[in-house]
Amino acid sequence: MSDKTPKDGEPGWFERKRNIDKVWYVLLVFGAILTASEFLYEHHPHFAIEEIPVFYEIFGFLAFVFIVFAGKALRKLIMRDEDYYDRD
Amino acid sequence: MTAIDVNPGLLMIAAGLLACLLPRVGRQLLTLGTPVAGLLLLIATPMGALTTLPIFGYDLTLLRLDGLAFPFGIIFLIAAFLNAIFALHQDDRLQDSAVMIYGGAAVGAVLAGDLASLFIYWELTAVSSVFLILASRTERAYSAAMRYLVWQIGSGVLLLAGILLHYQETGSMAFTTITLGSVGSWAIFLAFGIKCAFPLLHNWVQDAYPEATITGTVALSAFTTKLAVYAFARSFAGEELLIPIGVVMTCFPVFFAVIENDLRRVLAFSLNNQLGFMLVGIGIGSEIAINGAVSHAFAHIIYKSLLFMSMGAVLYRTGTVKASELGGLYKSMPLTTIFCIIGALSIAGFPLTSGFVTKNLTLTGAEYAGYFWIWLLLIFASAGVMEHSGIKIPFFAFFSHDGGHRVKEAPVNMLIAMGIAAGACIFIGIFPQTLYSILPYEVTKSPYSVQSVVTKTQLLTFSIIAFGVLIRAGLYPKEIPSTNLNTDWLYRHVGRYFVGVLAYMARWAWAGVCGGWRATLGAAHGLIRRHYGPDGAMGSAWPTGQMAFWATVMIAAYSLIGFWYLL
Amino acid sequence: MSAAPGFELGHHLPALQVVVPLIGAVICAMLRNGTLAWGWALIVSVLTAAISTMLFVAVQAGGTISYGLGGWAPPYGIEYRVDLLSAFILLIVSWAGAIIMVYARQSVMHEIDAGKRAWYYCMYLLCLTGLLGIAITGDAFNAFVFMEVSSLSMYTLIAMGKNRRALLSSYQYLIMGTIGATFYVIGVGILFTLTGSLNFVDIAERLVTMQMERPAIAAITFLTVGISLKLALFPLHSWLPNAYAYAPSVTTSFLAGTATKVAIYLLMRIFFSTFGEAKVFEILPTTTILVLLSVSAMIGASLVAVFQDDVKRVLAYSSVAQVGYITLGIALANDLGLTSALVHIFNHALMKTALFLAVGAVFLRIGSVRLHDLDGIGPKMPVTMAAFALAGFALIGTPGTAGFVSKYYLAAAVIDKGWWGLVFVIAASSLIAVFYVGRLLEAIWFRAPGALAQKASDPPLSMLLPIVGLSLAVIWFGVDTRLTVDVAHNIATMLLGGVK
Repeated sequence: MSDKTPKDGEPGWFERKRNIDKVWYVLLVFGAILTASEFLYEHHPHFAIEEIPVFYEIFGFLAFVFIVFAGKALRKLIMRDEDYYDRD
Repeated sequence: MTAIDVNPGLLMIAAGLLACLLPRVGRQLLTLGTPVAGLLLLIATPMGALTTLPIFGYDLTLLRLDGLAFPFGIIFLIAAFLNAIFALHQDDRLQDSAVMIYGGAAVGAVLAGDLASLFIYWELTAVSSVFLILASRTERAYSAAMRYLVWQIGSGVLLLAGILLHYQETGSMAFTTITLGSVGSWAIFLAFGIKCAFPLLHNWVQDAYPEATITGTVALSAFTTKLAVYAFARSFAGEELLIPIGVVMTCFPVFFAVIENDLRRVLAFSLNNQLGFMLVGIGIGSEIAINGAVSHAFAHIIYKSLLFMSMGAVLYRTGTVKASELGGLYKSMPLTTIFCIIGALSIAGFPLTSGFVTKNLTLTGAEYAGYFWIWLLLIFASAGVMEHSGIKIPFFAFFSHDGGHRVKEAPVNMLIAMGIAAGACIFIGIFPQTLYSILPYEVTKSPYSVQSVVTKTQLLTFSIIAFGVLIRAGLYPKEIPSTNLNTDWLYRHVGRYFVGVLAYMARWAWAGVCGGWRATLGAAHGLIRRHYGPDGAMGSAWPTGQMAFWATVMIAAYSLIGFWYLL
Repeated sequence: MSAAPGFELGHHLPALQVVVPLIGAVICAMLRNGTLAWGWALIVSVLTAAISTMLFVAVQAGGTISYGLGGWAPPYGIEYRVDLLSAFILLIVSWAGAIIMVYARQSVMHEIDAGKRAWYYCMYLLCLTGLLGIAITGDAFNAFVFMEVSSLSMYTLIAMGKNRRALLSSYQYLIMGTIGATFYVIGVGILFTLTGSLNFVDIAERLVTMQMERPAIAAITFLTVGISLKLALFPLHSWLPNAYAYAPSVTTSFLAGTATKVAIYLLMRIFFSTFGEAKVFEILPTTTILVLLSVSAMIGASLVAVFQDDVKRVLAYSSVAQVGYITLGIALANDLGLTSALVHIFNHALMKTALFLAVGAVFLRIGSVRLHDLDGIGPKMPVTMAAFALAGFALIGTPGTAGFVSKYYLAAAVIDKGWWGLVFVIAASSLIAVFYVGRLLEAIWFRAPGALAQKASDPPLSMLLPIVGLSLAVIWFGVDTRLTVDVAHNIATMLLGGVK
C-alpha cells in the first residue's frame, strides 16, 4: 500500500521555508496579543504566584524547555538499541 | 425488578459470545448494534435501579445505577460503538468477539453493585482484552501479551484476596466507599492501582498497548484504566493518598514521552499522565473535583481514542508509527491530519475543546482546596501534555521532514469514526453543559471565564513558542529509533535470568523431592531405579512396586496416627 | 423391555439402572459387528441415562428410594438405596457414558481393531454397570463386587489401545486397583465382624452405640487407603497418568469423567453416611491428613503437568490436582466444603471429558497427542480447539465457567473455616493451571502449524457434537448453578446431618 518512492517533485506548502516562517510569525504575534490581553481584564488569582505579571507565559515556556532538556538527559540514562529486548 | 433492568454489560458479553459464531456481516451488525442497544437500555433504566440475584445465601447486585455509574456506562458504550466503526474494515472473528466481551465486562463492572461481581468483570476485562494484543499475531506481541496478562491477573488475584479480607473484616460485600487501613483495603487499593497504572506499576501500559492491533489499542485505551478510575471514584473518593500518586503520574511520563520514538507508545505515556489528573481529582474528593475526574475520564476516552485512531490509521497505511520514519503525511492523509490535530488540541486542553472544559474542573478543584503545589505541578503537567500529545504526535507524524510515504487517505470507516470523535470533542468544548448535566454532582459555573480562557491559552501558546524556538535553534532532540528502558526492564532483562533460574530450580526441586523419596525409601526396599524421566516412560514398570509401597506406607501411617489418637 | 408401561417399571427403576447396562453388555458381547454393537451400546447407554434422570427427579421430589433386591428386605438382603447423593452421581456417570458413546463410533473405528470392537463396547457397558452399581448399592460388599466389575472391565478397556504401552499401564493399574480393592474388602470385613452387618445404613446405626475402638479405626484406615488408591489421591496417584495417556481416547474420556468420581462418592459414603462426620473428623485427625495430601496434589501434580510433553499426560496430572480440590472440600467437612466437592465432581467431569474428547479428535486426525505435533492446530480444527480452549479456561477457574463456581465455593469453605493460608494455596494452584493450560493453548493457537497439524481438520459431526455440547455446558453451568450448587448444598446438608 505504501509506495516509498523518493520525493515527487516540489515540496508541499508546509515544507517551504517561507511558509514555515509565516506560521512562526503568526504564532509570535498571537503570543504577543495574548500577553497584551493580560492587562485588559480583572484578575482573580487563587494563588500568589499568579499575580506575577506574565506568569503563565513564562511558566509555559520554561516548563516546556525544562521537559525537553530533561528528556534529553534521560536519554543518556535509559536509551538502548531498538532491538534491546530482542537480543539474547 | 422490571423487565428493563438488565445490565447492558451482560448484553454486550452475550453479543460478543454470539459474534464468534457469526459470519462477517453478522458480526458487523452486532458490533455496531449492541452498543446502541446498550445505550438505549441504559438511558431507559431509571436512576437508582437496583437488581439483585440471590446465589447461595448471597446477593449479587447485578445492576446498580447512580450518578457515578451512569456517565461511565454511557462513555464505555460510546467508545465501544466508535471502536466498532473504526474496525469495520477488518475481518477478524477473534477481535470482534473479544472487543465486545471486553467492553461488556467494563460496562458490567461499572454497573455492578457488589465486590464479587466486580471481581468477575475485573478478570473478564483482563482475559478478553489480552486477545486484542495476541491478535497482532507476532512474537513480540505474544510476549507483551503474556506480560500484560501476568499484571492483569496479578491485579485480579490481589483484588480477590482484598475482597475476601475486606469481607471478613466488615461482613460487607457492597462495592462502595472503603476506608484505607486494613490489609484487605490496601490489597483492593493496590489491585485498583495496578489497573490504573500507578507509578512503578505502570509499565504494562507502555509495554503492551503499542503491541496490540490497530483497532485493539483503541479499545484498550478506553476501558481498562478508566474502569480503575471508576473503581477509585467509587471506593476511595477523598482518599488523600491519591493526590501525590496522581501528581507523580501526571509528571513523570512527560519526560519519557519526549524521547519515545514509537508514537503509539507516546500516547500510552500520555495515558498515564491523563490518569494522574483524574486521580488527583478523586483524591481531592470535593464535588467539583469528582466532577472533574469523571468528566475528564469521559472526554479523555473520546480524544484518546481519537488520537489512537489517527495513529492507527497512519500505521494501517504506512506500516509504521515510528516518528523517525514518518513525516509529511498531511499531504497524503489530510483528513486524518485534521482529526488528529483536533484530538491533540483537546488533550492539551485548548478552549473550545472537551479537554478544556473538563480539566478546568479538576484544576478549579485544586484551587478551591488551596493545594498550591499540586496545582502548580498540574499546570506543569499541562505544558507536558502540550509537548508530547499536543505537538509531538501531529508534528512528527504529519509534518516535520517528509518521511517519503505516499499513501492513500485512511479508509472511510476510520474517517467516519475519527470524524465523530473529533466532532464530539468540539461539541463538548462548545456545549459543556451537555456533559456537565450527566455528572454525579451539579455544576454551576461555566468553565469559560475570561481569566481561565486567557491564562490557559497563554500557557499553551508559549509552550508552542518554546517548541518553535527549540526546533529553530536545532535544540529539540532528534527522533532516534531506540528502546527506552522502563521499569519493565527489571523483569524483562534482569528478571529473565531470575525467572530462568527460578524455573530451573522449581523443576529440579520437584525432581529432587521425588528423587529424594525414591532414594531414601527406595534404598530400604531395594526397589528404586535411578533414572526416572518426568515423562515417566522409563519408570512405568517401577512405580507399580513403588505405588504398592506407598499404599503400605499410607496404611501404616493412618493406623499409627489412629491408634496414637486412641491412647 | 421398553414397551412395558411406566407405573410398574417405575418401582423397579433402581434395579433397572444396573440391570439394563448389564444385560446390554451381555447382548453386546454376542454381536460380532462393531457398528451394530455401537448402535446397541448407544441405545443402552441412553436408556441408562434416561433411567438415572428419572431416578434423580423421583428422589428430588419424593426423597430417598430404598429397593430390596430380589424381594429381600434390608438389611438382610442387598439394598439398592438411592438418596440424593447417589442420584447425583448416577446422573453424572450415566450421562457421561451416554455422551461419550455418541462420540465413540468414529474414534473406536480408528483406534480399535475391527475384530475387537464389539468386545470393546461390551466392556464399556460392563464398566458402566459396575460404576453405577457402586453408586446405587446400599451394601458395602455389593459395592466391592461392583468395584471389581468396573475395574476389571476398565483394565480391558485400557489394554485394548493400539499403543503397546497401554498393556503395561493396564497391568500397573490392575495391580494398584487390586490392592485398593483388597484394602477395601479388608475394611468391609472388619466392619462386618464389628457390627455383623454389611448394609451401610445398618452399620451406621450399629456403630452409633459403639466406642471408636481399634478395629473401627483399622476399618477406616483400610477403607480410606483402599478408596484413595481408586480415586488417585496423592501419593497413590501414579497409576493414573500412564493409564490415561496410553488408553484409547474413548476409554480415557470415560475413565476421567467417571471412575475417580465414583471412588470419591464411595469415600463420602463411608465417611459421612457410615461412620459419620463426628467419628471420622473429630476423633481422628482425618482433616489434617487429607488437607495435606490434597494440597500436595493441588500443587505438586499441577507442577508436574507444566512440564509434560504429552497432552493427555498434562490433562492426567491435572486430574490428580483436581481430585485434590475435591478431597480438600471433603476434608473441610463443613457445609460449603462438601458443596464445593460435589460441585467440582460434576464440573470436573464435565470439563475433563470435554478436554479428553477434543484430544481424542486430534488423535483421530493426526495420530499423535505430543504437544509438539499440536503446534498451530487451532486454526485447522477451529471448532474442536475453541471447545478445548473453553474447557481449558474452565480448568483454570475463569469466572463465567463451571470451574470458577467450584473454586469459588471451595475458597468460601476454606474462609468459613478461617484457614486463610489455603486460599493462597488455591490461588497458587490456579496460577499453575494458567501455565499448563496456557502452554497448551499457546502451542495450539499461536504457533506455526507443523507437518502433521497442516492436514488436520475438525472431526466428523458425531464426535464434534459431544465436544461442543460439553464445552457449552461448561459455560452454562458456570452461570446457571441450580443443578449443581443447589443440589450439592442439599446433599451436603444431608450428609452432615445424616449420622449423629
